[in-house]
Amino acid sequence: MKRWLKLAAGAAAITLATAGCAGSGGGDNASGSGGSQGGTLTVWLMNGSAPASLTDALNKEFEAAHAGVKVNYQIQEWNGIQQKLTTALASDTPPDVIEIGNTQTPAFASQGVLTDLSGDVASLNGPQWLAGLKASGEFEGKTYGVPFYAANREVLYRKDMFAQAGIAAPPASDAEWLDDIAKLKAKFGSDKDFQPLYLPGQYWYALLSFIWDNGGDVAKADGKGFTSTLDSAGSKAGLEFYKQLVDASGTTAPKDNDEATPEQAGIYGGGKVAMFIGTPGEVATAAKTDPTIAGKTGAFPIPSKTAGQTAPVFLGGSNLVIPVNSKSPDLAKEYLKLLTSTKYMSQMAAAGYVPGASTDTSALDKDPLGSVMAKASKNGRAVPTSPKWGEVESGQNPLKDMLTAYLTGKKSLNQATADADTALDKIIGG
Amino acid sequence: MTATQNAPVPAGTTSPAPARVRDGRRRRRGGLGERLVPYLLILPTLVAVLVLLGWPTIQMLGISLRQLDLRELVTGKTVWIGFANYTATLSDPKFWSVALRTVVFTALLVAATLLVALVIALLMRHLNPVIRILVQISLVLAWAVPVIATTTVFQWIFDQQYGILNKTLDRLGFHSFIGYSWFSTGASTLAVIGLLVLWQAVPFVAFTLYAGLIGVPREQYEAAGIDGAGPWQTFRAVSWPAIRPILTMVTFLSVLWDFNMFGQVWAIRQGGPDGASTTLAILQYLKGIAGSHFGSAAAIATMMLVLLLLVTARYVQLLVRTKDGELA
Amino acid sequence: MKRSLAQRITLSVAGVLVALLFFFPTYWMFTTSLKTPGEVLSPKYDLIPTSATLTNFASALTKPGFVTYLGNSLIVTLAAVITALVVGVLAAIPLARFRFRGRKGFLLLILVAQLAPLSALFIPMYLLMRDLSLLNTLPSLLLVYFATSLPFTVWMLYGFVNGIPYDLEEAAMIDGCSRTGAFRRVTLPLLGPGLVTTSVFSFITAWNEFLFALVFMRDKSKQTLPVWLSSFKTAFSVDWGGVMAASVIYAIPALIFFLIVQRKLVSGMTAGAVKG
Repeated sequence: MKRWLKLAAGAAAITLATAGCAGSGGGDNASGSGGSQGGTLTVWLMNGSAPASLTDALNKEFEAAHAGVKVNYQIQEWNGIQQKLTTALASDTPPDVIEIGNTQTPAFASQGVLTDLSGDVASLNGPQWLAGLKASGEFEGKTYGVPFYAANREVLYRKDMFAQAGIAAPPASDAEWLDDIAKLKAKFGSDKDFQPLYLPGQYWYALLSFIWDNGGDVAKADGKGFTSTLDSAGSKAGLEFYKQLVDASGTTAPKDNDEATPEQAGIYGGGKVAMFIGTPGEVATAAKTDPTIAGKTGAFPIPSKTAGQTAPVFLGGSNLVIPVNSKSPDLAKEYLKLLTSTKYMSQMAAAGYVPGASTDTSALDKDPLGSVMAKASKNGRAVPTSPKWGEVESGQNPLKDMLTAYLTGKKSLNQATADADTALDKIIGG
Repeated sequence: MTATQNAPVPAGTTSPAPARVRDGRRRRRGGLGERLVPYLLILPTLVAVLVLLGWPTIQMLGISLRQLDLRELVTGKTVWIGFANYTATLSDPKFWSVALRTVVFTALLVAATLLVALVIALLMRHLNPVIRILVQISLVLAWAVPVIATTTVFQWIFDQQYGILNKTLDRLGFHSFIGYSWFSTGASTLAVIGLLVLWQAVPFVAFTLYAGLIGVPREQYEAAGIDGAGPWQTFRAVSWPAIRPILTMVTFLSVLWDFNMFGQVWAIRQGGPDGASTTLAILQYLKGIAGSHFGSAAAIATMMLVLLLLVTARYVQLLVRTKDGELA
Repeated sequence: MKRSLAQRITLSVAGVLVALLFFFPTYWMFTTSLKTPGEVLSPKYDLIPTSATLTNFASALTKPGFVTYLGNSLIVTLAAVITALVVGVLAAIPLARFRFRGRKGFLLLILVAQLAPLSALFIPMYLLMRDLSLLNTLPSLLLVYFATSLPFTVWMLYGFVNGIPYDLEEAAMIDGCSRTGAFRRVTLPLLGPGLVTTSVFSFITAWNEFLFALVFMRDKSKQTLPVWLSSFKTAFSVDWGGVMAASVIYAIPALIFFLIVQRKLVSGMTAGAVKG
């Protein structure tokens, strides 16, 4: 027993020693120089991002251009991605190119685990980067993430119902939007299952649009950290408008859950909903229930309180990064160069995304729903670029609690926003 | 089971009445090789437990004294910060209310699990084979269904607008349940989570108790029957002593599982509304994994371990002692 | 013990009720797997499904790699269960039948080992596997599943061996069996129910494990079914119908495993009856 323990202690010492030099262990196939004389380039993209046709062509072209290099392409799942990335980055042979969510990027960048790409921006199509995504890849003045793609929300609506209710054109302002809700209700309200606008209580991405539109924000940068500003007049006005929408529509969506539970596109597919706020991709989900619904669905940008303008939207999407431990950073950069080229960015657009590194959205514009999204994306914004923001989203989001408390009447507007500020400051505050 | 064949199993010295006889026998054969046998038999387990569970746990204790964020993990730098992770957590008033909630929730859940499982185990023993198999299959299915599916299905069943439960209650005449939210308070959210866990945990406990029950020789029941004992007396006199050790064991296990349970609590409402269904496991996730502060996560995990040891210490003591008591 | 007809009916009704109660969520999962997204949650009253579609099953089964994942899951799970049982029985015998120095300490270790907070151990476990160069290999998962179910297995089997009167083994020895033979012919068959419950437990635990499988296995070709199950989620949507269909498929091997060992459970019972 005692000898065994000694042995274990020895093993422990060895483990600690090796743990101290992660990344220097060296995999078999990692070429030390990271040059182009061969080896494997490991690329991790997320499930559902780039279509297989794109990655097949891309990897083939890359391998053809770099003799002896093999691309090890692996699709990653969203569940548990945080743990997967964390451990992979700590391994001896981390992947060379990774896709990470834009709101997660500052967390990784701030920890110094990503390669500084500031010097390569120009060669990676930098001038055409999507502004709202670009900010998420930057930390303390340096660039770590290359915008990959984004999607943003718009209002998806039933053209046939609008016509029947006598609405000629989609609303161009908040006031018109509320009017149209009233008209739809008057026309179809006799059906108790009908809702003019499906709007669940914790849809905080939608709330962001209203807050920004009213001149508010979630938090403002303040020296080193961030200070929550949910109790500012603008933010409160956004929240009030959210409640106005919920009340006007009389939506039966849960006030204590978000758009994913139950899945709003499924409810829309049921045919008793005239509008919901979502991404164009969600229409495909609705079409699984009612294949004809895609043809009946139109889109308009989330209206602004100022007539003629549209509300800013939250850009959800991904960046491409190179782990600092990558064995072949130069090859990885070459790969990024190819992926951000107009050719492949257009294919991302054709797949229904706003391309992150190209202003050419013509492929997206062919689709009426996609073109509305592409236009709105120009007015796209990001959540505070705090390294701790990832914690807000993967933890207990104070914005969700605030919405539920306010909408159910459990808290007054002032109380709800003040409490949310306190909770948020605990996470992202300086 | 080749190893069992190779290793001769000497006469034990441990079962009740004829112990003295065998003691004598062992003394006669008690060579060095013979005395080594038990150690050889437990060696694989010992090594596996120490290397695969013990060592990572020791490392976790070490990590709890370090600042281990993503940066330190990736660069392999070791930053010792003493008990800072502990003081930070303990000074948070929320920690104590969450700890209390976790203990109460665990206690209620374990009690409910045991009671339901015991009733089902007794029932299974008396059922005719066809219905028993039906019950067993439904139990196994409840147990085998992946957690992600179960939690989602429960959310759908309890959905306030379209959930089958509210729709059924409405049909049965309880119209106030139209649009009723089962997740509006922490207590009712935890109750739903409790049901979900109960549904998943009962099968194992029921099967274990059932296995213990059918181990009782039939004649013991017959003897009780002849003595004119009613069902309750038979249970007290025959079944209860047979399953008591197993019951103690599953109680202990249920406490561990329910106390550490994360997936189900998180999936239902992420510890909401407003943090009112947050348990220690959720807190550990929030402080640690969600923010990649593995040091604080390890500190909370360590405190959970200590708390669990405190809660179960009396039990562990009792378990070890009872076993020996039976053996002596 | 003859029971009256009324008693038997009451018991049967209670049994059916329990079966239904425990079956309902599984049933709900199954009917949901036959629904389109719009029907999953709809105002319709659909306790009994009004229509069915097999598209969810089609999309689940045509997901690339299903067979590979299934194979990996079966290999890892079965190997872990068998290893844990063999090693567990070995350790349970001396605990129940011998008195040796360090026995109490060992017992305590087995008990305390079950307190190990697994979710908090994934970083140290990962580092351990990295240093053993086992990452991205099936044995790493096998080891973890084996280790996590071992203390439980030992503890359970110890209880079961303990519950079998030693006199039976002794009687067999008087009849001319060797000690090993006596254990094999008398105690092991009586352990049947114990082995079954324990193995079903280890099987299901390993079968459902997600985090370690996700983190240890780099290549898709080495991942297991729980990871496959999570592939129905993308950044902007979750294919819930697909998840439910996949879950139904996923629960089938566990059910088959149970049905196989179920027969053993019955034979264990008959052995018990013979001995009694």
